[in-house]
Amino acid sequence: MEHGSIEREIHVEASPEVVFDVITSPDHIREWWHGAETDLVPDPGRTCEIVWGDRGSPDSHVARLTVVEAVAPRLFSFRWDYAEGDVPSAGNSLLVTFELTPSGTGTRLTLVETGFRERGWEVAKLEEVYADHNGGWDACMSGLGSHLATLATTP
Amino acid sequence: MSTAVDDDVWSAIGDPTRRRMVDLLLAEGGGTATSLSEQLPVTRQAIAKHLGVLDRVGLVHASSEGRERVYRVDDAQLARAVAQLASVGSAWDARLRRIKSIAETIERGRKG
Repeated sequence: MEHGSIEREIHVEASPEVVFDVITSPDHIREWWHGAETDLVPDPGRTCEIVWGDRGSPDSHVARLTVVEAVAPRLFSFRWDYAEGDVPSAGNSLLVTFELTPSGTGTRLTLVETGFRERGWEVAKLEEVYADHNGGWDACMSGLGSHLATLATTP
Repeated sequence: MSTAVDDDVWSAIGDPTRRRMVDLLLAEGGGTATSLSEQLPVTRQAIAKHLGVLDRVGLVHASSEGRERVYRVDDAQLARAVAQLASVGSAWDARLRRIKSIAETIERGRKG
């Protein structure tokens, strides 16, 4: 059992141009990503920070991401969740890809996040570690099963 | 704001060094910054910093035994972290719903 990626698809009744702008502009990111402040610019290679809470306060949280591809209005991808000082690549980060395809009068938006298995800490592995450590895990996992079933399997 | 907490836990176990540390603490039933630094290619100071991160999100707890603080994995919080990892997908669902809503509001404004 391997869970290597997350895949989602959603129809948005707005043009790809509008959807691309919502996904990549800091003003909109603040709205859809829990008040996150960011200096993101959708240029390939650009690294930026996403900050939740007041920077420097104990409750704040900072994520770094590096833009991989940005082709307005149809493709935006970035790597994130890598250690400070690392150059993000497959194996040390997660790759998030948004694809926008015109669909009727709107946009089909797909999201794919990959890299979990490459990180060696996919759900199945965590489950195994935990099962080894504590026999009382079965009950918890059965509740997760329905959700796990929606996580796509990478070939 | 609960998702912000989720992001913290995810971030805490998202780091490869910290995952190795959790593995070692589980395997050995606990450890100190010194014992962990002997098994990992990282300085004791860096280990102490990582332990601080894990401690803040509740994945490990420290107790004083002798001269050093001994850290153990919090079973309940690890179980929660597992669930968090699985819920990364649902976190994206929520974000995508908001992207959809914002974009459609803008689109309606442009047409109206």
